[in-house]
Amino acid sequence: MLSQERNERLTAVGPGTPMGNLLRRYWWPVATHDMAGRVPVRRRLLGEDLVLFRDASGRLGLLAEQCPHRRASLALGCTERDGLRCGYHGWLFDTGGQCLEQPGEPADSTFADRIRATSYPVAELGGLIFAYLGPAPAPLLPRYDLFVWPDVWRDIAHAELPCNFVQIMENSVDPYHVEWLHGRYGSFLKELAGEPPLPVVTKKHVKVAFEVFEHGILKRRLLEGQTEQDEDWKTGHPLVFPAMLRVGGGGIATFQIRVPVDDTHTWHVWYQTYRFDQPAPPQAAIPVYPVPLHDARGEWLRDYVDGQDICAWVTQGAIADRSREHLGRSDLGVIMLRKLYFEQMERVEAGQDPICVFRDQAANGCIDLPMEREKFGGAEAFRDIWLHESSIRYSPIRDQVVSQFGDQPRAGAA
Amino acid sequence: MTHCPGCGDSLGPGFVQEFWTGADRNFLCWCPGCGLMCTVVIGTRLVSSEPEH
Repeated sequence: MLSQERNERLTAVGPGTPMGNLLRRYWWPVATHDMAGRVPVRRRLLGEDLVLFRDASGRLGLLAEQCPHRRASLALGCTERDGLRCGYHGWLFDTGGQCLEQPGEPADSTFADRIRATSYPVAELGGLIFAYLGPAPAPLLPRYDLFVWPDVWRDIAHAELPCNFVQIMENSVDPYHVEWLHGRYGSFLKELAGEPPLPVVTKKHVKVAFEVFEHGILKRRLLEGQTEQDEDWKTGHPLVFPAMLRVGGGGIATFQIRVPVDDTHTWHVWYQTYRFDQPAPPQAAIPVYPVPLHDARGEWLRDYVDGQDICAWVTQGAIADRSREHLGRSDLGVIMLRKLYFEQMERVEAGQDPICVFRDQAANGCIDLPMEREKFGGAEAFRDIWLHESSIRYSPIRDQVVSQFGDQPRAGAA
Repeated sequence: MTHCPGCGDSLGPGFVQEFWTGADRNFLCWCPGCGLMCTVVIGTRLVSSEPEH
């Protein structure tokens, strides 16, 4: 049980809230590369409505959605050489938010000089567009390894989930759910469908461990039949503070990025990299694809690993009511994460930078993160499951990836 | 748990999380004032013994 007051402190992400103030110290993916074009698009991040655009000069801009003039949506605007022109009365704003023109005002008016739209810094990295909504000076955009590796294939999946981001993050420090949600329940669904159970995710957890380190929380597990020399224990993989999971194995390395849209919605980004044994032709562009949430009957899709996770997260409620939960010893990873959020909120309130805020350019060339190669005791078996039972099953390049790895395609795989 | 077991300050902005170990009710506490992190265990009964003397 967590008190209702603390649950609100943990989950409210809007401006002026303790968690909102913490999260505003970080850069956030606000769009995939294909979303930012000449047509402005509405985005919502940390409870703020925004408009993302690329002007005719190729500059990215991110402005508060409502025009400072009469509050019409700037999504109904025209992108021009020097910014975005409101569709209602033609006020023109540059990517920094400065009003450049007010066509209806007298020619000698200096009114425009005193008008600014709220604007935020944006930057592109690895096929994602990141935004910073916090106080100046903005920290560096972290160059995590998967975003900058030069010799891998990538694809990006995404979906907006109707729940708060914290309950999704808690899943990343809850290793036991794998053998039950995916192992037992997932195999039960397989049984009903007349299919064999999944072999890898059913293994019993003998012990788990968590430690706070410079990038967040490092998670280790020892499965039945393993020793402490297995990579699942010896290396582990991290929850990257404040809102990413690094997970993979067998040549696949991924981030699951949980972007708080507002208190009750999360934009979930599955960011995949594939490293093959032999050189592969370079990609012309990083494929981006949506992850469906419902089947034809409107039920939550749960016949695969990520669908089962999504189903668990959203059925906890739009904001999980932690005043009515019952935690046990197996939830100590969840407790550690909550404590880490509270601790970092305090650091921000004390005027300090929280962890994972980077300001040293020399340390930001490529931020390497630990991760098992032989996950769950076997790279190939893990890769087979990940390529067919995760959101990668919707990737337009899935079959090419299977082929590049030299794996046998599954019979009947789409 | 409303006050830090270490320094006595209010745990208002701090972290207090209940969890169970068998029959024992535990509260993990972290006080931002003094930095103390501890677990308070509400046992079902107090067991004590007097050493030989």
